[in-house]
Amino acid sequence: MSGNLLHRPSIFRRPDGIGGALPALILIILFFVVPVVALLLRSVTEPVPGLQNYATLFGDGTYARVFFNTFLVATVVTAVTVIVAFPVAWMLAIMPPTLGSIVFGIIILSMWTNLLTRTYAWMVLLQRTGVINRTLMDIGLISQPLPLINNLTGVTIGMVYIMLPFMILPLVGTLRAIDPMTLRAAALCGASPLEAFRRILLPLSLPGIAAGGLMVFVMSLGYFVTPTLLGGTSNMMLAAMIAQMIQSLLNWGLGSAAAFILLVVTMALYALQLRLVGAKRMTGGI
Amino acid sequence: MTESFLSIRDLRKTFGSFVAVHDVTIDIPKGEFLTFLGPSGSGKSTTLYAIAGFQHPTSGDVLLEGRSLLSVPSHKRNIGMVFQRYTLFQHLTVAENVAFPLRVRRRPEAEVKRKVAEMLSLVRLESFGGRYPGALSGGQQQRVALARALAYDPPILLMDEPLSALDKKLREEIQAEIRRIHRETGVTILYVTHDQDEALHLSDRIALFRDGRIEQIGTGEDLYLRPGSEFVASFIGNSNFLPAEHLETVNGSATIRLADGSVVSGVRIDQNFSHGQKTRLMVRPEAFRLRPGPATAGLAVEFIDTAFFGERRRVIARTAAGQEIDVRPTSDMAEAQEGIASSRQQIFFDPAAAFLFPA
Repeated sequence: MSGNLLHRPSIFRRPDGIGGALPALILIILFFVVPVVALLLRSVTEPVPGLQNYATLFGDGTYARVFFNTFLVATVVTAVTVIVAFPVAWMLAIMPPTLGSIVFGIIILSMWTNLLTRTYAWMVLLQRTGVINRTLMDIGLISQPLPLINNLTGVTIGMVYIMLPFMILPLVGTLRAIDPMTLRAAALCGASPLEAFRRILLPLSLPGIAAGGLMVFVMSLGYFVTPTLLGGTSNMMLAAMIAQMIQSLLNWGLGSAAAFILLVVTMALYALQLRLVGAKRMTGGI
Repeated sequence: MTESFLSIRDLRKTFGSFVAVHDVTIDIPKGEFLTFLGPSGSGKSTTLYAIAGFQHPTSGDVLLEGRSLLSVPSHKRNIGMVFQRYTLFQHLTVAENVAFPLRVRRRPEAEVKRKVAEMLSLVRLESFGGRYPGALSGGQQQRVALARALAYDPPILLMDEPLSALDKKLREEIQAEIRRIHRETGVTILYVTHDQDEALHLSDRIALFRDGRIEQIGTGEDLYLRPGSEFVASFIGNSNFLPAEHLETVNGSATIRLADGSVVSGVRIDQNFSHGQKTRLMVRPEAFRLRPGPATAGLAVEFIDTAFFGERRRVIARTAAGQEIDVRPTSDMAEAQEGIASSRQQIFFDPAAAFLFPA
């Protein structure tokens, strides 16, 4: 048996040491590290060497507003996504498996549908003369069309819709791992459904909320299509600003600096989450 | 009739056309340790869940001190429960788990502290309060679950196969703990298991379930020594069933003919059989002797295999009719030397300790 193992072709053996990992390492350096370094270099060398690009971004009120707006949208989108995704994920977690996989399929299918198509569909639904406003006016609920597009509301609705699967998927995983018997135990202990949710289900699902929340937040920070189409010109987000800097103004230095700030913030958030979730694991909790 | 503490009245639960529980009625006095014993799917867990409020019965009632529990939601029933699976709250420490039912009841912090300490000492886990459930063994987790279920002094404690996930040695250890805790707290316990040894070891009374009905209810001795049916006799303890023909009954004492033609009289019966009716004679393995006693009946057998088990000897024997039977005589020295000497011989049993059931 062991002789057999020794005579197996070397390709099946686990590569050991740095030598075996070299091709993958080269690939990662070439396609991931080099562009990021190039980005950083551009931000401090163009048009002239120095930190003036960063000074401009932090000093100018217009750019500060874009940053603020970006974080505001990302925060609101993440919060609303968590609230909408939780009941859906819980339903999926406790559904019979066959029905569950059908619903799961529907959610995945929406993810596979073209992003632009879905965003344009929301434009049709949300505009002043769109389906939603027409229906509400027809049944007499409102007399004036609601401002649902070209503002934060429009961006939030469109982005929550697109982000939902990214929140639901990790959350379902966490919720499925919770034994429903645990909630029955909580009930017999005297916890009302609301209390069982607050004290048991919610804390137990935090790792899933954190994982999904981080993903949604980070994706929202850099989102381009949906905020551009559903948001107004007055609440531009970072990605749109970078596009404008590079495409229209051809200011690669400033664009790179903005992109690099976005990257640093994202990495900081990731590190924070790793610390929070990791620390809990160490103590034997979730 | 005096009002019983917990009363299950004509409880019935159907799932579609399947009747899981078939009009079960039980009265349970305060402080009793009652076990629902039965094979899986016999309705014992469904009955327990109806008491816990996890399942609404199709008809019938569950009364605690005369008041119906059916309209009371689970979280207001004030019932303690230990589950088959580990249901501790994984994000809370052992002490916080035990404190949980007291916290949701908004008890003062000093009382919570005192009660948690008292409960952890009851289950002998005083030094584990700060640990998380994930760092505990299965047995320790179930003891914490027990402490959590008793922390709010519930009048009834439900236990749904709490030891089935543990290994044998640990099971026996925790059985002893449960007995001690029952003795010390005086709580009324309803215990569900499919393990007859566990049921015999723990309970004051056993309700044996079969196909959604209670086949027999009584003490372990009742069920073991006076089984009301062949099902009870075969489910509790080990038993041999010898085909027999009923000849006549005089004053509750029957005479039968076994398959090898031998006639045995003095079999105690409590039902009526007609002449020539096909029956089965149940003899416990340990009721067999290697030497005749007063009023014993003999059975010609051939020993196939014998093994020594300390207090008892286990023999696989074959009757003259070709049936293999399980024989466990006491391992008496003199008896043994004589007994093992030849492989073809007679073994003996007291007909009064045997039971006759319809075939």
